Amino acid sequence: MIQKKICMVGMFGTGKTSLIRQFVYSKFSDKYHSSVGVKIDRKQVHLGDATVNLLLWDLAGKDDFEDLQTSYLRGSAGLFFVADGTRRNSYDQLFELRRLAFETIGDVPYVVALNKADLTDLWALQQQDYDALTKAHWHVLRTSAKTGNGVNEAFYWLAAEMIKNKAT
Amino acid sequence: MTRERFIDTFGMTHVGKVRRTNEDQFLVACLRRSMEIPYTSIETVRTFEGFGESEAHIFVVADGVGGVPGGYYASGTAVQALIDYITNTLHCCYRVDVDGEHDFIDQLEKAVFHTHDRVQQEYGSKGRGPATTLTMVILIWPRAYMVHVGDSRGYHLHRGRLRQFTRDQTMSELMVDEGVMSESEARDSGLDHVLASAIGVDAKPSIGLLDLEWGDTLLLCTDGLTKHVTDVAISEILQRGGSAEEVCRELVNTALDRGGRDNITVAVGKAHGN
Repeated sequence: MIQKKICMVGMFGTGKTSLIRQFVYSKFSDKYHSSVGVKIDRKQVHLGDATVNLLLWDLAGKDDFEDLQTSYLRGSAGLFFVADGTRRNSYDQLFELRRLAFETIGDVPYVVALNKADLTDLWALQQQDYDALTKAHWHVLRTSAKTGNGVNEAFYWLAAEMIKNKAT
Repeated sequence: MTRERFIDTFGMTHVGKVRRTNEDQFLVACLRRSMEIPYTSIETVRTFEGFGESEAHIFVVADGVGGVPGGYYASGTAVQALIDYITNTLHCCYRVDVDGEHDFIDQLEKAVFHTHDRVQQEYGSKGRGPATTLTMVILIWPRAYMVHVGDSRGYHLHRGRLRQFTRDQTMSELMVDEGVMSESEARDSGLDHVLASAIGVDAKPSIGLLDLEWGDTLLLCTDGLTKHVTDVAISEILQRGGSAEEVCRELVNTALDRGGRDNITVAVGKAHGN
């Protein structure tokens, strides 16, 4: 069976853990737990004839005390960036996080989830922000770990890209 | 010769002031595969570098579930079964590279299920007999691999900041996670010491890892410590300095001074150096 490692990357509190929980267990909790180090989950997905075992590395979010620990990225076949659509600064950090990640592991398939799409009243991003991402070659999806919207789509899209990208 | 950088480890357990028996168990071990070369005509020992860093530190704590007969045996069987499994898969422990890392992590998870099966077989319990928590860290510098079942805890002290890297697998946490209870309802429910996952009953291991730096400290403990000693107090004790043994003794003594209602077990790994 094909095995692929995906690292979840983003600032603290963007919903990385919740996205994995929704994707793997179809569950959501409002309770926030700050992650420490890396938590590892697995999920098998079927893509055409291929069965892929996704190893989901939930990295602690970047915060005022901790930078992205790039040593965790080694061996990743794909990167799942997450920004909180209600927190502008989590969006602003995306480009720097991508630069750091690529500097460590090179160019691998990646996706960005603009998460918490259910919080429409608090949404802080504009059309030009999406445009800036797509212009910079990001594959962008709006997701809600709470409702599940866009979550499977994002993970499956990334899994398919990793399969295409035989180098990883 | 003074070592500038080294891993200092210690572990201890205490029955506490109230209970008659100690149902906790722990293990602190070091696995080495080394080649000492006191004499050689070769000018460089480059040939042997592959063995140089081959060292793994293992920390385990287990807390036999109170109120169920045989908690002591469950925790003992669990730790023994874990040692047996690790002994038979030693080759995994010395060196883990990126390619082999997930196999190694698989082995850790299998070790937990092996332990779970052993406890069930031993007591023919089918989920109704003795049970235990189990928290294990295998440190292959600088990476600490963690497997966790139950409500014992793992803490990481890094640059003066203490963080719990395990999550308590209790019914109250589960109720909040499932959205059945609010956090305040869960606190008042009395479910915060009812396990949602335990070896021997229904093991749902959580797996993770951490990269350490010199100067960091790891602590594994049973809830006999955390019932009495807050995270703030733990952090202060860990930062006071001293050897791993001194830290362990101070943690246990603090829990005893504050009541010692339960068995108390701690295992500490200090990465001395800057």
